[in-house]
Amino acid sequence: MSKHSALNTFGRSANPAFTRGFESNAQTLPLSERMTLDGAVNKTGILLSLCFAGAIVGWNIPALTIPAALIGFILGMVTIFRSKEKAGSTAPLYALSQGIMLGGITLMYENVFDGIAIQAIGLTFGILASLLLCYKSGLIKPTENFRLMLGAAIGGIFILYLVSFIMSFFGGGISLLSPTNSSWASIGISLAIVVVAALSLVLDFDYIEEGAEKGLPKYMEWYGAFSLMVTLVWLYLEILRLLSKIRSR
Amino acid sequence: MNSIIFGGLAILSLFVFFNLGKVKASKKQTDRNNRINRFGELNPDNIIEGEADEVNENDKD
Repeated sequence: MSKHSALNTFGRSANPAFTRGFESNAQTLPLSERMTLDGAVNKTGILLSLCFAGAIVGWNIPALTIPAALIGFILGMVTIFRSKEKAGSTAPLYALSQGIMLGGITLMYENVFDGIAIQAIGLTFGILASLLLCYKSGLIKPTENFRLMLGAAIGGIFILYLVSFIMSFFGGGISLLSPTNSSWASIGISLAIVVVAALSLVLDFDYIEEGAEKGLPKYMEWYGAFSLMVTLVWLYLEILRLLSKIRSR
Repeated sequence: MNSIIFGGLAILSLFVFFNLGKVKASKKQTDRNNRINRFGELNPDNIIEGEADEVNENDKD
C-alpha cells in the first residue's frame, strides 16, 4: 500500500478516542447550528452581566459567599466533566453563583483596602483586552508546548493551594499565600500566579477560535464562554490578592 | 481619581473585548503548523508522503 492508500481503503479511524466526538459532526451541521465567534462573545457578555448581578447580591448579603462558592464549584465540575451539552443552562447559574461569591469576597477586601475592588476590576479587564489583542494579532502563539507548560504550572499552583487548604484545618497554612503577607517573596509568587492565570486566557481565546473555525456544535459557544469566565474569576481573585499584598507594604 | 482611571480602563477594555472578540484572528495566528489540535483533525503537514513496505520477521534473518 502506498501514499495514503490505507486511508483511502479503510477511511479515518473509527476509534472514538481519536475522533474526540466532534470531527464527524462538525462537517455535517447546518451553518445555523455551528459555533461562531459572535455567539461565543455575546454569551460571554451574558455571563459577565449575570456575574455582575450576582456580585451586587453578594456585596449586600455577604452570608451567601460560602454557599455560592460551593454551588459554583459543583456547577463548574458538572459543566466540565459531565455535560458540555448542557453548558447553556449550567454556565449562567455558574456565573451567577460565582458573582455572589466574588461580591462577598470583594466586600471583605474593600473593608480593609479602600478602592481595591475597582483597581482589580480595571486590571482584570485590562489584561483581558490586551491579551486578546496580542492573540488576534498573532503576537502570542499558543502551541502544544505552551499548553503543556501552562498545564504543569496550573497543576503546581493547584497542589500548592490544596496543601495550604488542608494545612489550614490544623491551624497552619502556607504563609506565602496569605493575602496579609507583604514580603517580596509572597508578592513574587502572587505575581507569577497572576501571569499563569492571564496566559490561560490565551488558551481560552484559542479554544473559541478553533471551535468556530471547525464549526463545532452551537452549545460549545456556551462552553467557550464558560471557560473564559472560569479563568476571569480566577484572575480577578489573584489580582485582588496581589493588590492587597502590595498595599499592605 | 482612582475610580475614574480604573473604571475607565474597565469600560474601555470591555469595549475592545466585545468588538475585537468577534473579529477572526490574523493569518499569522491561524495559518501555522504548530497550532494546538484539540478536536482531532489531522494536520496535512504531519503526513509523510512515501512508499510503505511490509516488514516480516523472516526477512530480517
